[in-house]
Amino acid sequence: MSSKKKVITLRSSDGEIFEVEEAVALEWLTIKPLVESGCTDAIPLPQVTGNILAKVIEYCKKHIGASESEDRKILYELESWDADFIKVDQGTLFDLIRAADYLTIKTLFEFTCQTVADTIKHKTIEEVRHIFRESNDFTPEEEKEIRGKSWWLQGL
Amino acid sequence: MAGEDSNHNTVNPTLSFLDLPDLVLECVLRKLPPSGLLTLSCVCKSLRRSCTSDHIWANHLEQKWGKLISPAAEKEWRTYHSLKDNWRKFEDEPNSGKQKGLMTILMRAFSALWPCSLGRRGNSTVPEQSCLLANDSTMYWYFALQNGRFWFPAQVYNRENGHASFMLSCYDAEVCYDSRTDTFQARYPTHGRRSMPLEVGVTWERVRSPPTEITNLPHDLHASDCLTDLRPGDSIEIQWRRNKEFPYGWWYGVIGHLGSCDHQGSQNLCRCHECDDVALEFNQYSPDSRWRWVRISRRNHREEGNEDDGFYGGIRKLKEEEEISGWKRFWPAELLE
Repeated sequence: MSSKKKVITLRSSDGEIFEVEEAVALEWLTIKPLVESGCTDAIPLPQVTGNILAKVIEYCKKHIGASESEDRKILYELESWDADFIKVDQGTLFDLIRAADYLTIKTLFEFTCQTVADTIKHKTIEEVRHIFRESNDFTPEEEKEIRGKSWWLQGL
Repeated sequence: MAGEDSNHNTVNPTLSFLDLPDLVLECVLRKLPPSGLLTLSCVCKSLRRSCTSDHIWANHLEQKWGKLISPAAEKEWRTYHSLKDNWRKFEDEPNSGKQKGLMTILMRAFSALWPCSLGRRGNSTVPEQSCLLANDSTMYWYFALQNGRFWFPAQVYNRENGHASFMLSCYDAEVCYDSRTDTFQARYPTHGRRSMPLEVGVTWERVRSPPTEITNLPHDLHASDCLTDLRPGDSIEIQWRRNKEFPYGWWYGVIGHLGSCDHQGSQNLCRCHECDDVALEFNQYSPDSRWRWVRISRRNHREEGNEDDGFYGGIRKLKEEEEISGWKRFWPAELLE
């Protein structure tokens, strides 16, 4: 075990304790000032649960240093690792986004938002309503009109 | 209930897309292609507002059309939408090969607007203005361009698909996009009595937004402001027209040395830039072609020429490398006669 690397302690909203290398914690801009100030206490993260924090740490450990690599093989492997990593239910995906937003982790934030955008792409209106559990609050007249305009805009 | 557990933020099966923070929603919307945004805009009222906002669409507009949409095109779009109740009727008109100048289009639109404003708003063929989306929104503009429903002013290099008579020229035109072929259709101002067929299949690289300093109409002389600066080697474009009934096109050339100059190899000794006349070279033509070389007066150049050689008009000095390389892409494989 490498005992030389500085370790930061984090506490999730449900009281779980995690240890991460300082280099990983420095990528999280929300806690960066605390880490840089040499804080030794466990940093509380009241908006992130233990199971989500574990996923966030897993992602950041994998990505540290690798995202900037120019080695195509490493990047290809990373991409395929990412694809497996994000095979989660929608609730977890949304929680990951909120955690990335709260902790200000740019790579994870961009990646998870892209995943949501990819879910929407090529879906029909009904499919999107179903996936995101959004109900239709248009009146029948409005619905008819916006669909008509949408068709017209698409050149159909 | 999961909703009561907000302090611990556990996985909430009822958490909806719209419950995500605004910043997150905005980020997702920015990553969506136009078709995805359009679909999402039909899901519910809240998404309708976010997905049709001008600032979201401004990115797509800039990305796809930023290089081609000139202030003139934007102005024409605004004019078009001051007649917005008439838009559907205008779109339904078939594209004929007939020339349609801007004034003809506007007059036709105006004449059709009258009955429209006098009570046809309820007519099912003319949709009412919706409170959900204005017709002059950036999203509408994007799709009007994308679906070829809007002709906008631009300039086309090597008109008539590179016909030898138009090699290394650029003419004013109205163009519209054809998304099926990812090319443009172009129609040009009337060329004398010659009827101009619609040109199709104009590739992206052949279309440019009129340079900002060109403010004149196609038949008007451009005021040259670079004559005293011109030196051998400079790239220029000059207006030229066959006769005074025709619109001008812009032609690519370079400044050459005057016949009297003995120092063509030495920039320091050459005094061509101090002479009253300036030599224009069109090296795309063979050395014995009558189009190869012309001499104009630096001091009082306006339009010069005659019915045989055509008329040379205003000159623009090309300062941007991008503009020069834009011309050189079209250099013919063989010299022209």
